Amino acid sequence: MKARWNIILIPPMILSLLFLFGTQFVFLRAGFFEDLGLGRFGDTLTLENYITFFQDSFYFDTLRLSFYLSLIVVVAVLLCAYPVAYVIARMRSHWSMILLATVVISSFITVVIKALGLIIIFGTDGPINSVLLNFALVDRPIKIIGNISGVVIGLMNYVLGFMILMLFSVIQTIPRSLEEAAEIHGSSRWRVFYRVVIPLSLPGVFGGSMIVFNLCMGAFVSAALLGGGRVLTLPVVIERTIVLDGEYAMGGALSAILLIVVLIINILSVMAVGRMRTLRT
Amino acid sequence: MRHSRTRSGRKYLAGVVVCAVYIFLLAPVFVVVFASFDGGDPVAGRAFLNFPPQGLSLQWYFSIQARLFHSLWISTAVAICAAAGGIVIGVPIALGLVRGTLPGRSVLEALCRAPLQIPFIVIGVAFLQTYYLVTSLTGIRINGTFMALALGHLFIATPYVIGSVGAVLVRFDTSLEEAALSLGASRWTTFRRVTVPIIMPGIYTGGLYAFMVSFGDVPISLFLASPKYTTLPLEIFHSMEFDFDPAILAISALVVMASVVILWIVQRVVGLDVLLRSGGSS
Repeated sequence: MKARWNIILIPPMILSLLFLFGTQFVFLRAGFFEDLGLGRFGDTLTLENYITFFQDSFYFDTLRLSFYLSLIVVVAVLLCAYPVAYVIARMRSHWSMILLATVVISSFITVVIKALGLIIIFGTDGPINSVLLNFALVDRPIKIIGNISGVVIGLMNYVLGFMILMLFSVIQTIPRSLEEAAEIHGSSRWRVFYRVVIPLSLPGVFGGSMIVFNLCMGAFVSAALLGGGRVLTLPVVIERTIVLDGEYAMGGALSAILLIVVLIINILSVMAVGRMRTLRT
Repeated sequence: MRHSRTRSGRKYLAGVVVCAVYIFLLAPVFVVVFASFDGGDPVAGRAFLNFPPQGLSLQWYFSIQARLFHSLWISTAVAICAAAGGIVIGVPIALGLVRGTLPGRSVLEALCRAPLQIPFIVIGVAFLQTYYLVTSLTGIRINGTFMALALGHLFIATPYVIGSVGAVLVRFDTSLEEAALSLGASRWTTFRRVTVPIIMPGIYTGGLYAFMVSFGDVPISLFLASPKYTTLPLEIFHSMEFDFDPAILAISALVVMASVVILWIVQRVVGLDVLLRSGGSS
């Protein structure tokens, strides 16, 4: 009986692994060839593309920018999502289901359409600017889209839903009775929050932050559209290197660097969450 | 007295925060739908910024070109292929991983989830370069075909199916199958009449996730699409990058409305908890 399950596992598994290792191997290998432009490769294996990455500040700055942007977005999104996830987790009415369903449904709508909406809202002729002008907070429309702030807004909008869902799933598992017990013993509401709820939800906060960080590191659409082509994050530069410049080898090397950074963060997060779990028990 | 006042104050504050976050989350989508009904003058480039709309009309809906409808059709077809292929490959993998005895199953499971850990733009680059290599080795041209897009999307679709079917299987009581077998049902009948109905919610959910992720994707299609086979999100993306056409708003609004209706129906049928559980695990 059990052996049958192994038999049906093997063919699709081989297919999946072939896809995974095949494609990853091909592009990783491509990064080690000299780039002759226009999609042509040199014949010998070389580290030239990687050396260029670390020596040419143009390329290295893209990684740094991606890193800092993702960090800012993670902190900002955490601050927005935590209270919301907490409120939903502690709601007793059917509203919690409606609020969650809304997040799930909105997370299914493609980023491009949301980016379009954000450009209308935050654009120089958009409602945000007209409100600011009407209340005389600014003398002329401020530019929110087409620079770093636009990208931060875009990325936040992109990952907020994921963060709410992940935090909700953790906070939901914290028994309400723990909070009540602390309150009965005289803790203030805020103190209960800081000393009971937040510490117990830390693994979720950590795991969620890592996932969101990686989503931001790899985010292409928000960075390309809301940065107006001027905010050069690593994914944006990868696309340009390959699609516009036809530098396939360099593009392969840049993709490899992005992949490695993301994988390292994933491994660290798995280790850290595991460590937290063992410390708790 | 004082206690209850701070309590209601806190509730008020929480309400304001929740509302603000939800407005930020949902406003872009509503704005697109709202702006698509703009009745203002069709001045090229300007209408993009006509918000709030000047008068209501369906003018932009009638100006949607055949090219956009074609890309909508391609997107749908690619997403259906990805979801169907994901189910065909993913369901046996999930069954084998949960039920089987193969050593190293946890490693295999991690490898199955790996595509979702790779940034989508890297997946696009990897598939593009693989297609080039295949062409240069065998002479078979994959790039620019429908297959090129569908395979790339299948790659990211499969893990969603494995995740959600696996989640259902882990909670599945095998004694139900044993009961069917001991009552004389054949293995195939047991599978068809007991196992499949039980894992069906997982298949629906995984298929839905696969469909929606594939349907909304830009970074993979960016490298794998061709003028003949281009997806709707990619058309919207290019239109926003280069020259904006308000018809984009109209077709986006159509997609939003269709998605909301479909997701609402699915959520009523499968239940939100199933949808949430597999979403969290991926």
